[in-house]
Amino acid sequence: MLIDIRDLYKIYNEGKESEVRALDGVSLQIDKGEFVAIVGQSGSGKSTLMNVLGCLDIPTYGEYYLDGTDVTSLSDKELARIRNREIGFIFQGYNLIQELDALENVTLPLIYRGVSVFDREDMAMEALARVGMEDRAHHRPSEMSGGQQQRVAIARAIATRPPIIMADEPTGALDSKTGRHVLEILRELYREGTTILLITHDDSIAATARRVVRLSDGKVIADHPQEVDWE
Amino acid sequence: MNLWQAFKMAFKSISMKKTRSFLTMLGIIIGVASVVIMVSVVQGQNKKNMEYFEKMGDNKINVSAYSYYDTNNETSEKLYDYCLSMSDLVLGITPDAEIDQKMTIQYGAKTLSVNDWDSMGGGGSVDWEKMMHVKLGSDQYGVCNNYQLAGGREMSYLDVEKTNAVCVLGAGAKEALFDYTDPVGESITINGQPFLVVGWYESMAVDYWPELDNIIVLPYTFNRTLNNNNTINSYVVKAKSASATVEAMTKLDAYLAGLFPKNAEGWSDRGDYYVQSDNSWAQNLQSQNLMQSLVLGAIAGISLLVGGIGIMNIMLVTVTERTREIGIRKAIGAERKSIITQFLIEAAVICSIGGVIGIGIGCVGTLIAGKLLLDEAMMLPGTGITVGAFLFSVVLGIIFGMYPAIKASGLQPVVALRAD
Repeated sequence: MLIDIRDLYKIYNEGKESEVRALDGVSLQIDKGEFVAIVGQSGSGKSTLMNVLGCLDIPTYGEYYLDGTDVTSLSDKELARIRNREIGFIFQGYNLIQELDALENVTLPLIYRGVSVFDREDMAMEALARVGMEDRAHHRPSEMSGGQQQRVAIARAIATRPPIIMADEPTGALDSKTGRHVLEILRELYREGTTILLITHDDSIAATARRVVRLSDGKVIADHPQEVDWE
Repeated sequence: MNLWQAFKMAFKSISMKKTRSFLTMLGIIIGVASVVIMVSVVQGQNKKNMEYFEKMGDNKINVSAYSYYDTNNETSEKLYDYCLSMSDLVLGITPDAEIDQKMTIQYGAKTLSVNDWDSMGGGGSVDWEKMMHVKLGSDQYGVCNNYQLAGGREMSYLDVEKTNAVCVLGAGAKEALFDYTDPVGESITINGQPFLVVGWYESMAVDYWPELDNIIVLPYTFNRTLNNNNTINSYVVKAKSASATVEAMTKLDAYLAGLFPKNAEGWSDRGDYYVQSDNSWAQNLQSQNLMQSLVLGAIAGISLLVGGIGIMNIMLVTVTERTREIGIRKAIGAERKSIITQFLIEAAVICSIGGVIGIGIGCVGTLIAGKLLLDEAMMLPGTGITVGAFLFSVVLGIIFGMYPAIKASGLQPVVALRAD
């Protein structure tokens, strides 16, 4: 079991009138190598779930084991290590650093990982090549289209070769053609054995996954595998 | 992430955001430069004041006594005798009088008019810097007034006693009459009467007081013939040391109080007197300088504080607006320590560059202000204030550049990512 959460709660303003239960007792198990889509309307808690699963946020209550490790007991430093080595993030808004060019953005997680200066440029270029962006290595985000920026963000996510990729509405800001391209990259990573978590509100995007987990009001209302035709 | 990486990242960030970096530096540049210039100018002024008093000499007592009934300088004679009796305390004593009659001084073809107000074209166009002063003194005139002989000798006791027609020239008078030739042994005439030049003094070289050099000193016994036998009532007494100055002043005070006893109302109907020393002037001046330094210190402190608040603001704003960037860095695996190190180095580099530029501008500004305000060719700021202003700004910049970074790096990444 790669990801194992039990009775997870994320509650804002607990006990007050304005209390919001973003996650209301979620339990979920995901195995290595799965391609899971987490779907739901906006406000259903799917982004909160990804943030907690990605160690970007801490749950209010509940258990979270990542590859057997109790994540809720880890220190800030150990969480940083997990974010760096175990998980690659792809955000809807790309979240590239504007002052750095594509190559520097992709190199950043490798720097934090402590990869030597001789290896990391090669690794970063390799990641850029995988998303077809090697010829834009020295362009800054402002000089690239949305699709290109998202591909650089994917390169950054896979540069450290993490076993898990978490993508939060990765196609949300893209047109359908570039969106399909991004999904194609995710499928390819899946075929290579990477565990993929795809968060989306769009059922047609979710149709690309092998398993769909549906959230509503912070609760899992459906969880089923699905057949997909990837031609 | 090692330190070298952090340095590279910091430099990258500084060079990518030039406007932001420049604005951050500007506060520090202005703060450091203005404090350095302001403090330097006041310190320079204080130094110049002290210089004048050093040239005038320490342990110098000015004594004046005005008797209401004196017709024949009796008080002066008594005072002079009394001063001579304190030979264990004093190095010298000289009358301090100037001839106020109209005179013509000649040497060869050169003529100097003294106190000729009409031909000088009235008060408005008098060139004070070129005016000559004919002084009446004793053989100790030079010692008492801190003049150093440049050549020849002082007038002697016998010259004074016998009213010998000799004179000693100040550097200004020597230059006006003799240019660069040696005046010793030459004769000048004052109102037609020949005077033998026996010596001349080095220049006092005090910028604001050229009249210190524009003097011709005659034996005071010429008071009778050249000065209408005016009353001489001022003396300069040169004491042997600071403590001797105090003792001599006390004695003179007591002696003169005896000459002019006070009545029941607390004043004397016989005459008036004062005893004063440059030491007390210098002390006054020193306390005045101290006062100025304190006021200045307060002003400098306030400007540093204002500058500091400016630095604080811009650092808080620029680092706070990068909360999202901090969130991204955390999301891809930056430890808190790496982020804080990066921002520390950024703040330190920016503030140091600003500080160095500020010192540079401060030095140039001090040079210019020194030239314009104090007529100093090469005035530079003191090390203390420069280092102080620099350190204060840099430390402040680092603290307030660090504080938001420390705060933001402690947030959950998702919270930092949401900031914008």
